Amino acid sequence: MFNFSSFVQKAQSFIDPTQALNISPSDRNPAKSTLFRHQFRLPDSQTPLQEITAEITISPPVAYSPNATQGEKDKDRDRGYHYEGKLHLSEAYLCFSTQPTSFLQSASTSTSSGFTGQTHGAGPGGNGFTLPLCAIRRVERLHSQQYQFALAITTWNGLTNSPTNDAAKTPALQQKITIQLAGTRQACERFCDGLKKGLKGGVGDVGKLKKVVAECYSEYLLQQGDMKKDGKKDSIPPDAGLGMIFRYPGDHKKLRDRSKMRLWGEYLRDYGRNVTLIRQPTFHKLIRVGLPNRLRGEIWEQTSGSLFLRLENPMLFADTLAKYEGRDSLAIDEIEKDLNRSLPEYPGFQSPEGIGRLRRVLTAYSWTNEEVGYCQAMNIVVAALLIYMSESQAFFLLSTLCDRLLPGYYSTTMYGTLLDQKVFESLVEKTMPILWDHLVKSDVQLSVVSLPWFLSLYINSMPLVFAFRVLDVFFLEGPKVLFQVGLAILRINGEELLDATDDGAFISVLKSYFSKLDESAHPKSENAKLRAVTRFQELMVVAFKEFSGITQNSITEQRMKHKDSVLNNIESFAKRTSIRNLGPDSKRLSVDDLGSLYDRFYGVLYERQQRSQIIMEETERRDRARRAKAAEVVTGLSENQVVEKGRVGLGPSPTLMDYDGFREFLAGMARWAITDSPSSPGKDKNSEPEKHSYFGNSVRRREVSLSPWGYGNPEPADHEFMQRLFRRWDVDMNSALTLQNVVTGLAHIKGKGDIMGSITYFFELYDDDGDGKVDREGILRISEALLFLSRRGLEGSLTPSTSMTGLSEYEADNPNPYQPEGMQGNTNERFLSSVSAFIRRCFEYADPDHPQNKVPEVEESTSNGLADPDSFGIGDDSDEEEDLLDLGDSSPARGKKPTGIPSIPAASDGSDNRDRSVSKAHAEAANAALDPSKPLHITLPTFRMVVLADELLEQFFESSFPASFRISDKMIAPASSSSGSSLTTFSNIGFSRSNPQLSVGGTSSAGLVPPGKGLRGVLDNIVTDGMRVAAEVRRRMDEAQKELEQNAVHRPDDDEDDEEGYDEPRTPGGNAERSVRSEDRDLLEGADAEAMSLRGHDGVSELKQQGSLSPTTTNAGRSRSPSVASSKVIEFER
Amino acid sequence: MAEATAPKPSSSVKLVLLGEAAVGKSSLVLRFVNNDFQENKEPTIGAAFLTQKCNLPTRTIKFEIWDTAGQERFASLAPMYYRNAQSALVVYDLTKPTSLIKAKHWVAELQRQASPGIVIALVGNKLDLTNESSGSGNALGDDSETDAAEGENDDGDARKVSTAEAKSYAEEEGLLFFETSAKNGTNVTEVFTAIANAIPETSLKGARGPGATQSSANRTEDQSRVNLTGPRDSASKEGCAC
Repeated sequence: MFNFSSFVQKAQSFIDPTQALNISPSDRNPAKSTLFRHQFRLPDSQTPLQEITAEITISPPVAYSPNATQGEKDKDRDRGYHYEGKLHLSEAYLCFSTQPTSFLQSASTSTSSGFTGQTHGAGPGGNGFTLPLCAIRRVERLHSQQYQFALAITTWNGLTNSPTNDAAKTPALQQKITIQLAGTRQACERFCDGLKKGLKGGVGDVGKLKKVVAECYSEYLLQQGDMKKDGKKDSIPPDAGLGMIFRYPGDHKKLRDRSKMRLWGEYLRDYGRNVTLIRQPTFHKLIRVGLPNRLRGEIWEQTSGSLFLRLENPMLFADTLAKYEGRDSLAIDEIEKDLNRSLPEYPGFQSPEGIGRLRRVLTAYSWTNEEVGYCQAMNIVVAALLIYMSESQAFFLLSTLCDRLLPGYYSTTMYGTLLDQKVFESLVEKTMPILWDHLVKSDVQLSVVSLPWFLSLYINSMPLVFAFRVLDVFFLEGPKVLFQVGLAILRINGEELLDATDDGAFISVLKSYFSKLDESAHPKSENAKLRAVTRFQELMVVAFKEFSGITQNSITEQRMKHKDSVLNNIESFAKRTSIRNLGPDSKRLSVDDLGSLYDRFYGVLYERQQRSQIIMEETERRDRARRAKAAEVVTGLSENQVVEKGRVGLGPSPTLMDYDGFREFLAGMARWAITDSPSSPGKDKNSEPEKHSYFGNSVRRREVSLSPWGYGNPEPADHEFMQRLFRRWDVDMNSALTLQNVVTGLAHIKGKGDIMGSITYFFELYDDDGDGKVDREGILRISEALLFLSRRGLEGSLTPSTSMTGLSEYEADNPNPYQPEGMQGNTNERFLSSVSAFIRRCFEYADPDHPQNKVPEVEESTSNGLADPDSFGIGDDSDEEEDLLDLGDSSPARGKKPTGIPSIPAASDGSDNRDRSVSKAHAEAANAALDPSKPLHITLPTFRMVVLADELLEQFFESSFPASFRISDKMIAPASSSSGSSLTTFSNIGFSRSNPQLSVGGTSSAGLVPPGKGLRGVLDNIVTDGMRVAAEVRRRMDEAQKELEQNAVHRPDDDEDDEEGYDEPRTPGGNAERSVRSEDRDLLEGADAEAMSLRGHDGVSELKQQGSLSPTTTNAGRSRSPSVASSKVIEFER
Repeated sequence: MAEATAPKPSSSVKLVLLGEAAVGKSSLVLRFVNNDFQENKEPTIGAAFLTQKCNLPTRTIKFEIWDTAGQERFASLAPMYYRNAQSALVVYDLTKPTSLIKAKHWVAELQRQASPGIVIALVGNKLDLTNESSGSGNALGDDSETDAAEGENDDGDARKVSTAEAKSYAEEEGLLFFETSAKNGTNVTEVFTAIANAIPETSLKGARGPGATQSSANRTEDQSRVNLTGPRDSASKEGCAC
């Protein structure tokens, strides 16, 4: 047994995907492909396919000379810059970086997470390039004298350069990159093959490339230069932002825009522009000193990688706007509110032109990312971007910002913002302990000051010109820049801040600092040079020199560290708020209950989303696996950002629970809502047991994780009662429940606390048309539901019976804290008879829909049934008994002889049918009560009376029904073991252990079967299967009515089915599992037998002689129930 | 930290503004602090911080006003701002019933999460959009219109939340209640004065006390904050006393 449970836990840790993705920070290292994409700023579609060490030579642009001799080419190669580094190939990009990188999937995790460099995976660090394959015009293989593998790449640099008048002429200057691959011949060949393939694929994208490049100012700039040389007139420049119309902020002369432009012009001419740009050491320097106005947008786009996003889908912006034109959304309302108040100091945003652009970009983005929608501060950021770039460029840059550079900043919970504030605080604490102590002492909350810095990228904190300088570096080097600048601000103002003792003083120090950024940092210095240094320059120096230790890595690390606490804070805030706003009904439940309800509700939604995500990925993965070679399929399931989606704290999470979710939700709360016959995995195994044993664990694991209920969870039942409950709670009629619905629903069940309310509630559940009447069908359904709800025993203390003394030894071992096993069992039996009496009484007191259906007839039929029990012989029962015998060898000792009592309790509605047929056949009595042609109904008062007439039912409605929804506590151990045991009797031992407690760690003994528990298992089965039998019988009602006699002959082959169902789960498992299982079974059988003997007087033979009207579906375990049921009925009758 | 003895005692009071987006929180503050009104005010990112003094007969109150962002998603930042607040203005737009619901949520949040004893004022803003904008003040006691009747004012009255409704809610919850117009200044200073008056003397005195030592304890976390005034201690604000 011990083996068993430990095996279970082990298996779970292997299988349960949610367990695997949490916890240890080392698990959360971003996937390599993510690092790769971040490093080269590639779109999410790209994965690292090939990687090779290479040396590149960047030749200065050469005149196009197709007839150059080999010698000349060699000479070209020797000139220019040489870089050694890694060359990467993805689906559509060729990337090179001098920084040590390794993103190949085959590389070990340590290499991928451990690499360092200027941008630490967050940006294009080092020297190199990110070249779309479609921008490669030609690749030549060079004959190398050094027996090396060398390629010469010619790019489409200056694609649009070709003068319009003679298109035939090739561009005057060509960009050429020579690459020497270092590696085995094989590796080189493979790389080249990959490149060839990629290039072929890239050909189709040249059109897009042209379109994208045409919007780049650099093209115009260089073309312009050429044209001037040629003495041609100007063409129309591409849109470089509102600045072209409304002037760029700042003083051109002061910014030395002209000389910057010249430098950049040279750089771009020499080393490529936009997509073909090659990062040389000067590139970073040029950016640090500030970008020239007209190129700013384009370089932002290039360094942030949004250019590549645009390249991927150049029309997305326009298409999105067209697609959603005229549509409304919350985000649009919010955007409209803020349009007039975004950078109002810039003239462009007081004009319809600027506001129109802002509206279009924000709106389009809100449509493409509806989860984020619109967040205040986005308006400010986008407004700033629009000064320097076109709408489409700003749109893609905003995407890059939200998705990659500022993850979670603008989400609906703003968790990214809060997280980075925490990170920032911890960095301050680390780097400036004295200031930090001071802040703590004077109770100044730093984030109050710094949050807007991060959220709006310093744009509304610093004067615009300086904020843009920060942005220049930020887009190149990534989010760490925000931290570096923030720290530098505090460091520079440290002295004054130490004097500030409250928030107000603190804020005003910084405000005045920001307003003086353009002043000299050392106004009193003798040194003229020093005097010329502005405060902003000082800030940049401090930020990037003094805080150069702040890297993407350290920030990622800190983020990991604080992530959970931040998310928890947000979630508890959300929870608090949401619970508080649940409305008056929620007052009926305790705050604790509401809290647990909230957790359960969102827990279920979250897990379901996780599961479906994982299942989807799995399916996809398998599809891919089918198509592609194994090697290409390894892409991790473990990309956390994907898998963690749906957590409340991370932003919009699902808030609606569908019926399946509801079932799962109930199953976590109420024992009766757990199914007895877990289907999917069992079936799976049934259908392909061989496969499992061959493939062993890995396959099995996948199999299981695809269960829609998740591995560690019990599969919820699906009962009509649950459907009714769902519909009843679904007051908004949208086939889904909100938390509000669930709370209200439960409040009505649990919160009233009076029996009348609970009875009424139940009645109303079954009063479909709300006319205050429940018809025959309804009565039967109610009784069925009562059995369904009670089949795992009842909650609370129903009056215990005294007779079951024999069980005491088992009770001793039974951890059940609230009710001894035996009593429970006994109560169950008694409850069965109560339900049977309930049906009988209902019919007895029912009002006929037509006056001629008189009550006496009902009674007559009843007495009929009673009169000749033997002759009726209730087919099911005898049949069931036989099955029972097959399973447990000892005589099933529930003694009462089954009789033909009209209303067989367990069979609920089925019993009715059976009854009807019986009475028709033998007595020909007009069984009005059960005759469908004579409708009848009960009213609420009748229902109430009938319920109150029975002590157990009364108690059921008073306490155990409401109590069966266990909101707060986890289901207690015995409950689990009971459900476990009941399930074990069925086909799926493997599943029986999957109680929620297990996954929560509630009980370790789910796998262990306590000795006493077998009995309850039997009982549970009896009840459940009684219902199933009943259902089956009902299904065959019509037949039965017509051809009564035939029923007796039906003897199913269920035993085999049962055996099958039983054995199959064993096959796939390992030896340990198998042995445990058989052990388990032995034990159970033993327990069954004992249970039987305890119960009874009667022998097998007697039971056997009964004719059988058997439902074909049931297996041995199930079929027992009606007999017990009926026997109980008799007891009751006597 | 020298104890400056001022002619009239002065103390700082932290005040936080909460409420749905665009109900006029910032405008109320702007009116109170600068006696100004801007039609297109930049949305508040995170929060804005302003101060203004309020002279009472017996003392001077220096309000440290935290004006928070109203957009729903900024709500999770709010605890950062109402931390240690001694008073709060919960603002709704009396032409927008949903904003009152949101205001009620804020009140509930404050009552449970903010400093115990926090003085809360419920403020219905944009009185200028209603007919009785003439400054009839908060004492619209005879306002007998029922909720149902509200929709019927079609004489250019944009009011959607009756005074009676909001007022009875405020009384139930023990809040100060005002209807204001930041645009034309109706009742704005009155709100702040009423808050200043409602701040218990004791909590102000506490502010002058041991201060710094307590404040470090405060820092640890919001939950078990006992002293209302913790950090409002230091010398810097003594300057405002004269």
